[in-house]
Amino acid sequence: MNCETARLLMENNDPALAQHLLSCPSCVIRTRARYYEPPPDLEGRIRQSLRRENSTPAPWRWLAIAAAVLLAASLAWNIALLRSRTIATQLVAANVLSAHLRSLAGTHLLDVPSSDQHTVKPWFNGKLDFSPAVKDLEGFPLLGGRLEYLDGHPAAALVYGRRQHIINLFIWPSATPIAEASETRKGYNLQSWSGNGMVFWAVSDLNQAELRQFVSLYERN
Amino acid sequence: MDPIRKLALFEQNVMPHLPAAYNLARWLTRNDHDAEDLVQEAYLRAFRSFETFQGVDGRAWLLAVVRNTCLTWLRKKGLHPTEEFDERAHSAAEQSTDAESLLLNQAALGSLNDCLEALPLEFREVIVLRELEELSYKEISDIARVPVGTVMSRLARGRKRLQQCLAGALR
Repeated sequence: MNCETARLLMENNDPALAQHLLSCPSCVIRTRARYYEPPPDLEGRIRQSLRRENSTPAPWRWLAIAAAVLLAASLAWNIALLRSRTIATQLVAANVLSAHLRSLAGTHLLDVPSSDQHTVKPWFNGKLDFSPAVKDLEGFPLLGGRLEYLDGHPAAALVYGRRQHIINLFIWPSATPIAEASETRKGYNLQSWSGNGMVFWAVSDLNQAELRQFVSLYERN
Repeated sequence: MDPIRKLALFEQNVMPHLPAAYNLARWLTRNDHDAEDLVQEAYLRAFRSFETFQGVDGRAWLLAVVRNTCLTWLRKKGLHPTEEFDERAHSAAEQSTDAESLLLNQAALGSLNDCLEALPLEFREVIVLRELEELSYKEISDIARVPVGTVMSRLARGRKRLQQCLAGALR
């Protein structure tokens, strides 16, 4: 007797069934155990959650998105920082040139007129909270020194000559070093660099090559 | 896999087996509400790992996921002790009752569902998979992660326990 026969016997309340069931509990289960039907709305809910799942990016994709956002933010931040630094440098360059022009326009080029570095250097003592390096440079005679106020700092101005040209070398201490740069403004050449916790700006109407020569001589000595 | 194609394939291969999934979850949890939640969770799990589906039998594959989801949940709730069922200790008791002498009648059949529900989980799951889903021993062995021989012995013992339970219900 197979289960299908058993089912038929059972439906007809046939006494032969009991005999069969004794030997076949499997048939009892197959024919009489409850088969639970899913609630009618379950399939809809599952389909909905699958659609949601399909439209949400995988975890690694979230990571990638987060990384992209971070990268963009850090890029924007760096560009903003760079721009603000560039703007600040431009401002200092303008001030440096103004100071140079002021020194030539009036009578106030030198506070301490001397070609002797051992006169000029000590003159700054007590006037500045740092001691600028005053150097004798071959081909660029020292003319003297002057006090300036630049970029919110008291600054030393060392004045050198080259033929009829005047070179102002401005020095002041700064915690943030600047990149070495040269530029031309209104026909004047400017060179800036930093070292030993100082910022240096050289400005002159001298041509760029000779100004560069001046700078490298000053740096080497 | 393209997400839209994946969903279409999944709905085509796995969705039709919802009744089997629900029936198994309901027999394992013995509770409508938990069965619904776990089937839904199992479907999500199955969908996420649909790439591992080899395209042979969506029903057996889905039932394996449902079974694991339910067992994990039962274990977490402490409803399914992890220690193995002591088969020798129980088999001695089984032989002492003469199940064969039982005369089954309609009254006994009425308590069949209660008896099946009262079976220890390892017997209940193989009986549901075998008698209600009519899966092969091999398929059940894959789903329950036990050797085919164990499936067969659990089936035999499960049936016997069921008979005993029905006999007890008659007395």
